[in-house]
Amino acid sequence: MDRPFATESRIHPSAHRRARFAAHFARPGWTVFARSMAAMFGGYALASSTAVFLAVALPGARGQAVLTGMLVAIVVAACAALWAFATRSALRAWLGIAVPALLLAAAAHALGAWS
Amino acid sequence: MKQGFRQSMAWLHTWTGLLVGWLLLLIFMAGTASYYREEISRWMRPELPASQVSADVAAQRAVAFLQANAAHAETWFVTLPDARNPAIRLFWRNPDSMVKPPVEGERRRRGGGRFGEATVDPNTGNALEARQTRGGDFFYRLHFDLHYLPVMWARYLVGFCAMFMLVAIITGVITHKKIFKDFFTFRPEKGLRSWLDFHNVSAVMALPYHAMITYTGIVTLMVMYMPWGMKAAYPQDENAFFSEAFGGLPEITTEAGQRMPSAPVQRLLDSARLQWNGADVAGFSVVHPGADNAVIDIRQRDGRRLSSETPALRYDMVRGTLLQHSPEAGAATATRGVMYGLHLAHFADWGLRALFFLSGLVGCLMVASGVVLWAVKERPKHARQGRIGFGLRLVDALNIGTVAGLPIAFAAYFWGNRLLPVGLQARAEMEVSVFFYTWAAALVAAFVWPRRAMWAVQLYAGAAMFALLPVVNALTTSAHLGITLRTGDWVLAGFDLAMLAFGAMLALCAWRMQHWQPPLSAAEKKKRAAAMAHAAKTAEAGA
Amino acid sequence: MMLLALGLCFSAFVALSLATEKHPVAMQGRALIARVDRSAWRWVGWALLAVAFALSVSARGWALGPVLWLGAMTLAGIGLAFGLYPYRPRWIVPAACLVPLLGAAGLLL
Repeated sequence: MDRPFATESRIHPSAHRRARFAAHFARPGWTVFARSMAAMFGGYALASSTAVFLAVALPGARGQAVLTGMLVAIVVAACAALWAFATRSALRAWLGIAVPALLLAAAAHALGAWS
Repeated sequence: MKQGFRQSMAWLHTWTGLLVGWLLLLIFMAGTASYYREEISRWMRPELPASQVSADVAAQRAVAFLQANAAHAETWFVTLPDARNPAIRLFWRNPDSMVKPPVEGERRRRGGGRFGEATVDPNTGNALEARQTRGGDFFYRLHFDLHYLPVMWARYLVGFCAMFMLVAIITGVITHKKIFKDFFTFRPEKGLRSWLDFHNVSAVMALPYHAMITYTGIVTLMVMYMPWGMKAAYPQDENAFFSEAFGGLPEITTEAGQRMPSAPVQRLLDSARLQWNGADVAGFSVVHPGADNAVIDIRQRDGRRLSSETPALRYDMVRGTLLQHSPEAGAATATRGVMYGLHLAHFADWGLRALFFLSGLVGCLMVASGVVLWAVKERPKHARQGRIGFGLRLVDALNIGTVAGLPIAFAAYFWGNRLLPVGLQARAEMEVSVFFYTWAAALVAAFVWPRRAMWAVQLYAGAAMFALLPVVNALTTSAHLGITLRTGDWVLAGFDLAMLAFGAMLALCAWRMQHWQPPLSAAEKKKRAAAMAHAAKTAEAGA
Repeated sequence: MMLLALGLCFSAFVALSLATEKHPVAMQGRALIARVDRSAWRWVGWALLAVAFALSVSARGWALGPVLWLGAMTLAGIGLAFGLYPYRPRWIVPAACLVPLLGAAGLLL
């Protein structure tokens, strides 16, 4: 997959180093690991954010909102795992999980969680 | 990965299934057995009499026993006998003053002496004298508390596996392109194709069950797995969450009052039944028994609802007045109650229970065929190289030791129950050890020789252990088929018959394993056809 | 009632399986089957499943009824796919006619 860098004498040495560094992360073992981490840890974080957000955002009784959050969080965790492996790249896997997790956490904080 | 959606889902399905498959098999087998945990417990204590005592008499005897043995307890919990369990189950919580600090070196009892329990014979009102055993409860606890592990770690591990299973189910459905076309397709005697068909059909035919049992299993412990919403919404008082979310009557926080005799419990049960238009009482709990502010919560037995949340009535136990109805459950509470109820299947009568059990068995077959399928698919790649790689050897050994070895362990647990001396110290724990030592032996044997012959050996061993169990029963007790079939005791007879059925099924699998022939290649088939044609011609010419 | 629901689910599954290409090969009465259009079998199958659902709900209510219906389908499907089709295909059509009748008879007893 690598292009023959050695023949390109006009490329700066640091570009060589960056390219080799990037190629290291293109190895399949690394992407599997990154996606797995996104699915498991990222997925759990997204599920937790969802649970907290629903617990504070849903109208009605507090206890019911908390329970609803838990019930939904399980499904969210499963979907996150699917996303982590279905999406085009490991980077997208992480972004697609971490960004919503952070947004939900921020929204939950704005609504009074962890205040 | 640079591959399509379906391929990535197929990859995910393989690995979520394979990495936790063997632990899932243990969980599924123990969980499926738990559908009949009361019946198993009865079979494992054949000394127990079947009893036909009215609920009121049982309740009176329960209260009498508790007054004699747990008079100073804070709370009493009573579960009355029902069709599946003829004994009265009692549980009580002692006040802090009675909790003994753990003694150095002594094995710490769960709860540290805070709780007490007893099983009482409703015929006599005395504690049941039967061999010490954990009975079917061992399987029930095993499937989420595992064993030899701290309970919390075990539950996290089981929850982790359950999430993997949930992902495996979803990815399985996504991957199975021809899910409707191949709905009934099972083609035996075709090697890898047959294993795939079997895995697909067993998964699809009970798909609602598999998805339900996995999701509801996680829901059962979701407060432990996902407490963050609760912690965010109830930062100071988590107890309020429990009383608000899990419906039921509010917790009683007052101290016990002066001693005062309570009204007869029968009167209170009658009053409850009147309120409910005749519905049965499942059990009751008493807070501050024997005090002037004693309160009794009476729980309804309702066979028509899925939810585990059953209505309850709270009475003043001294004056007999109705204090409160249990509140209407909120939507989320009711939903969670239905989820929990579906998982436990307490509502199931003999017919539904049999269907649940069958679906659980199909689930075990699904998981087992999945892990075997992976090995069958992998093997040709290793055959080309001439030797089996580490991964495949490991999978083969785990497959044999778990798919064939676990049934041996289950049967051994029952053998232990019949053969271990009744008065043995720590007998219940010893029975459990028999289970694990047997499984360990099967695993070790499988690791030593992970070959087809070992499959046959272990399957035959399992078949023999199951099929001979009724014989062992006959030799060691008087609760064997010769008697139970005559008296119509279908719990005990059914157990023995089920053991024979499992033995027969395992024997069939073992026989097929033993007599398996590798499929002929196309060239081999041509050669054989030519040889047969030649032989026919020679015979014709000779005749 | 459960037996009747089970029987109807079984017949329904037989009908639905006839609607797929692969199965009619080894069955008894395949000439008769071939005369009926495939999509007609699909209608018959779904109709029988609907009747089984209605019976289950009327017998056990809206909570337990669907659970019973799903369980009956599982049992029927396993019996058909793992038992009859691969090993006793000739029994399928007679069974599809007989089992619901037995279930109905059970109701009357």
